[in-house]
Amino acid sequence: MPELYLRLLDRIMTPILLLFALVLLFRGHNQPGGGFIAGLIVAAAFQLQILSRGDATVRHNLGPYLQPIIGIGLLIATLSAVLGVFGGGFFTGLWWELKLGPVKLDLSTPMSFDIGVFLVVFGVVTSYLVGLSRED
Amino acid sequence: MLLLCLLLLFIASPIAWLLRPHRTTKAGWFAALPPLAIFVWLLTQLSAIQNGQELIESYAWADALNLILRLRLDGLALFFGLIISGIGAAVALYTAHYLEKDEHQGFFYALLYAFMASMLGLVWSDNLMTLFVFWEGTSITSYLMVGYKHKSDAAQEGARQALIVTGSGGLAMLAGFIILAQAAGTYTISELLTQQNLIDLPIFPVALILILIGAFTKSAQFPFQFWLPGAMSAPTPASAYLHSATMVKAGIYLLARLHPAFSHSALWFWMLLTVGGITMLLGAISALRYYDLKKILAYATISQLGILVFLLAFEGEAAYGAVVVGILAHALYKGPLFMLAGIIEHATGTRDIRRLAGFWRTMPWTFVVALLSILSMAGIPPLFGFLAKETLLEALFHYAEHGGEYGSGGILGWILVGAAAVTGAFFVGYSFTLLYETFLRPKAEDEENSAQIHHAPSIGFVFAPLALAIIGTLIPFGIGPLGDTLLSAAATSIAGEEVKLYLKLWHGFNSVLITSLLAIAAGLLIFFLRNPIRKIWAIAPEALDGVRIYNRVYYGSYDLARWSTRHVQGGSLAAQASIVLMCAVAMLLFALTRINWATDLAIDWSVIPHFHELVIAILAIVAAVVTVQSKSRLNAIISIGVVGVTVTLFFVYFSAPDLALTQLLIETLTVVLLVLVFHKVPEDNNPPLPAITQTRNLVVSASVGLLGFMLVLISAGEPFEPRISEFFTLNSVPAAHGANIVNVILVDFRGIDTLAEITVLAIAALGGYALLRSVRLRKISDIEPVWDRDEIDNA
Repeated sequence: MPELYLRLLDRIMTPILLLFALVLLFRGHNQPGGGFIAGLIVAAAFQLQILSRGDATVRHNLGPYLQPIIGIGLLIATLSAVLGVFGGGFFTGLWWELKLGPVKLDLSTPMSFDIGVFLVVFGVVTSYLVGLSRED
Repeated sequence: MLLLCLLLLFIASPIAWLLRPHRTTKAGWFAALPPLAIFVWLLTQLSAIQNGQELIESYAWADALNLILRLRLDGLALFFGLIISGIGAAVALYTAHYLEKDEHQGFFYALLYAFMASMLGLVWSDNLMTLFVFWEGTSITSYLMVGYKHKSDAAQEGARQALIVTGSGGLAMLAGFIILAQAAGTYTISELLTQQNLIDLPIFPVALILILIGAFTKSAQFPFQFWLPGAMSAPTPASAYLHSATMVKAGIYLLARLHPAFSHSALWFWMLLTVGGITMLLGAISALRYYDLKKILAYATISQLGILVFLLAFEGEAAYGAVVVGILAHALYKGPLFMLAGIIEHATGTRDIRRLAGFWRTMPWTFVVALLSILSMAGIPPLFGFLAKETLLEALFHYAEHGGEYGSGGILGWILVGAAAVTGAFFVGYSFTLLYETFLRPKAEDEENSAQIHHAPSIGFVFAPLALAIIGTLIPFGIGPLGDTLLSAAATSIAGEEVKLYLKLWHGFNSVLITSLLAIAAGLLIFFLRNPIRKIWAIAPEALDGVRIYNRVYYGSYDLARWSTRHVQGGSLAAQASIVLMCAVAMLLFALTRINWATDLAIDWSVIPHFHELVIAILAIVAAVVTVQSKSRLNAIISIGVVGVTVTLFFVYFSAPDLALTQLLIETLTVVLLVLVFHKVPEDNNPPLPAITQTRNLVVSASVGLLGFMLVLISAGEPFEPRISEFFTLNSVPAAHGANIVNVILVDFRGIDTLAEITVLAIAALGGYALLRSVRLRKISDIEPVWDRDEIDNA
């Protein structure tokens, strides 16, 4: 059963890939990364799942959420752009600095916009992967 | 404050949905509160507006693109605002009873509020783009409201028709706006209107006709009038609100708004005069053709809208007075009449007047409403409709006697007076028919199927139309003060200069009154001859209906799509791809004839490529050759992956980590996808391709390769504009707080592009989802429309 190796790989790689995607997503503004790349990596992680566990499992677990994820991603991106109206115009970036003890977080509308991009790319690519890998 | 009013309605919209108001009809009283609040606030603004003060609010939306949300409350905006919010409150109350226990009622309320906000925004906006956005907002919300009973074919067809007609009119209007604003140099309406030389611009006629198409489609003018009767499949509250009092008046509003700047144009005068005149006569005469209560009312509305367009052709106080009185009177009698049709339908289950009779006994309150509003529609003194007819005739008499800027009155003027009188006579004719056949006659025409009343309407149900009808009855007695304040302010906006209206109910015994009385007498004759007239109508051809042209265009576009799909996209995938690719190659060949080979291709031959560059290039070439040569699909897929990875190496080498990362991921996913797809395709056991196909493939591949090669070469020879990358480098950290320039460009500097791209992605995903789900793949030629064409033509 060649799938056995893939399952092992899936066990190890999928969590790493998902974490890696998050890291890329959040550091994207200053270092290589960003929503688009992170979305593709998450899609790749789920592709690994499809190959190792079959498309039915993934479709069952993830299928119903994919279209809502695309919609929510678009909504977040649009809202981030609209929020800019309060800072001087459509798409003007707004920045807040959040201090949690020693940790300093930069919150911003470009950041949330990137999260929206991430969700759309992840949703779109994964829904194609799930759809095309259907074993009928 | 204006923005606040719009926000109030937009926020009330989802709340009404969530509250599930169908559980009690008392919800109607609460639903009427938001529009009522706006109505009261608008009333408090009256004195300020009357003193010539205007309320202007401006919000920068995207300043760099010159998109500004600019709202302005002047006399006309206030006048329309009062009608929209006042009738809106009545409709909100009425809806709770009409859609009693309907579990989608909340959705209807959500649409109603959203529509109301769009309509208010439309009449308040002072920027052409803002106006257009709200204009489309009314089209979309009205589409959803007409299609409320989305399982019925008639509702679907009516909704689609209304959307396509008003939507395409809106697009024409947008083009007109852009032409006009670019020529005039401003998108602000109030600035545009003060420009005196606007109509002398050479491009003006084009802009005017495009804008008029928008106004005429929205206000159901000939030849676009057919969508309005079709939209009668809407729930009655929507018809009462959208199709009599508000949305169809949007076109009238636009004409009135642009009147100060446009009315000196000859084209304006003749277009409005003929289109409005034809619509007014056609609507009035057609009303007698139908037996459906709402259809009769729809044609009566078309006629009234024609009168208003017709009046806006003229200048002068008499015409302005007639327009504002006409708009208000029509809203106050037609709104209740539509509601009445809904009450009758609700109580009996039918709107066919052949099955109705004698309801004055069983529905006394409803009868009071009917009496007041139908007599007003007929223009019987001393009701409001009488005043509307008087002012109309007065304006025309004035034109006939004194002439105007175009045409010196005279014969043309008297023809117009005659046309208005004929229209008035038909108004009387169908008004009396409605009143007599529904309420007064002892037995129905179709006696066997005569309608029975399931339950008499509750007082809450009748309250809204009754209130409107009573207000409409009382107004003529207070017309003096009302004319001095609100109506004068509205007329001032239409005229573009200070106008003082002196409206009186009683003008003395003059020629206008005599014409009026003659029209009533003629109307009585029409009433007595109604059955012969209907017989004539029954044999008349339907050719006058614009709906035929609409259907031609509508189904024609499907035929064209089928034809082009079969011929351009038929055949094998390879053939299709060849067509697309060769078109691109043709464009490049054209471009190549235009370049200067000596200077444009600045290739520096002295640079010797590095060793690893050569290795990467050779790797890519070898992998490409292997792809083409390999016998097994799996090998081909893997080697094409190798090509992609070598490109990634190039990106790494030229230090573009973001690009390299993306390329690598795309490459990986593509390979996996290709494996998945080709895995399902059966083994290729076909004989080798014929020589001609092979040659074609070779030619296409070679030319596309050349295309890519030349594109890269030429664009590399083009000197870079250093300021662009300099700007990004300089501003990335200080202005956008990000050190990764690629990402900053994507999410900040060029965020709008990214937003558009992910929107396209999302839509593509929806399309792909539908495609991948379709179980059975069919040939395009097998896909026939599900509707029956003759059926719709005959409907």
